[in-house]
Amino acid sequence: MLKKRLIFTLLYNQGQFVLSRNFRLQKVGDLDWLQTNYNFSKISFSIDELLVLDVTRGERDTGAFCDTLKALTQGCFVPIAAGGGVRSIEHARALLRSGADKVVVNTALYENTGFIAELASEFGQQCVVASMDVKRTPDGNYRVMAECGGKALEGDAREWIERVTNQGVGELYLNSIERDGTGQGYDMQMLDLLPPVMPIPVILAGGVGNSSHLAEGIADARVDATATAHLFNFVGDGLKQARHSLVASGVDLPVWDVRQLDIILDRGEQAGGRVD
Amino acid sequence: MMNSRITVIDYGMGNLWSVGNALRYLGCTPTITDDPKEIAGADALLLPGVGSFRKAMLSLKETALDQAIVEAVQGRGRKILGICLGMQLMGSRGMEDGDTPGLGLIRTTVDRFSPDEIGANKIPHIGFDMVRSEPGSVLFSKLPEAADFYFVHSYRMLPQGLDGKVATCDYGIKFLAAYEHENVFATQFHPEKSQANGLMLLKNFLAQ
Repeated sequence: MLKKRLIFTLLYNQGQFVLSRNFRLQKVGDLDWLQTNYNFSKISFSIDELLVLDVTRGERDTGAFCDTLKALTQGCFVPIAAGGGVRSIEHARALLRSGADKVVVNTALYENTGFIAELASEFGQQCVVASMDVKRTPDGNYRVMAECGGKALEGDAREWIERVTNQGVGELYLNSIERDGTGQGYDMQMLDLLPPVMPIPVILAGGVGNSSHLAEGIADARVDATATAHLFNFVGDGLKQARHSLVASGVDLPVWDVRQLDIILDRGEQAGGRVD
Repeated sequence: MMNSRITVIDYGMGNLWSVGNALRYLGCTPTITDDPKEIAGADALLLPGVGSFRKAMLSLKETALDQAIVEAVQGRGRKILGICLGMQLMGSRGMEDGDTPGLGLIRTTVDRFSPDEIGANKIPHIGFDMVRSEPGSVLFSKLPEAADFYFVHSYRMLPQGLDGKVATCDYGIKFLAAYEHENVFATQFHPEKSQANGLMLLKNFLAQ
């Protein structure tokens, strides 16, 4: 039986990692900052997968993003998905050569250019993660938003989700713009937008503030993975603790023993370099 | 004793970045090569791979890497670790895009998961899943008998009738998750994507 997954999402904007709240971005620091102040290499041993998204508004520097991705993924031994504005096979290939195992697409999903099919045929369907941003309207309905949440799509969110999942993508990353960065917990009602029989795994995103939110999301049978992009809600040992409490409460996450890194790296306790 | 002269075989289809990353983390300086002569001089070989069996075998043949690998492993007793498609290529034959002979280091065929054997499970088999190993295994040394590893694949080998030690994973059918016999080692999963479990397994291979 496949395990459920805990995913961390890092947002990148013009050389800086950022926090997002309702899709408004706030700078936190560059890669050095992330390593020094946040000890990302250590955090990465508490997750099952990493997503890195270039959410730069306007012109993106793909080369610089790929360099950051390479540096970031050096100490990271989990599957890695990367994306942001991907519209060509070359762009996707550049990400895959920089440490990514999967490519995340968003706005291109709605453009009907045949690009998604082309991506799947070039790299395999499992390589394509469809990221969809939805927003709840005052009347309680949902709208699918493209272009970093900037453009509402005409039509029913249910139909869009069904259309996207039937396009030959490998996974669906479903994010709530309403909850994004608020720490109020997932929008569980958003899951009712999914078709009754979902042919691909679903990653739930948007709104996590603490480990009980992660637990609520992952307990839903429709959810294969829960994601959080909130760096500051899981400072220090936050993510490690959250993972431990999920496993202790019976969530079927993969298990490994980070203390074994000491053996793996021939590091004695006296060396003082314990990871855990 | 860690083996620093590890040669990663580049035939244009591997996720070389991730494998190289993991080896460097473990203190190795891998040589990445598509040159059969370098393979002849290697202490240990690593055959990674993502993609189609037929394309990969064609590529290995065109570059004469296939002969160099078999000669190094069977002729000179060098150890090899095949990962994912790399493991499948070590089989006798693969059924992806037609029937194609493999390197013949693991005497079994590689077939697609059939709906009959996996029931309601989906193809590809993708994600972390539990692997059960046999006592005394080299690769799984210091790991629990059941440990989680990351898989991405649609084709599989079966453990029946093989010499050596096997590890299995249950996806409706118990398929071959890892294999070891003398100097031949292979994993269907990606140790380089399997956190501390995978790093320990790679370390075990290198230290062998």
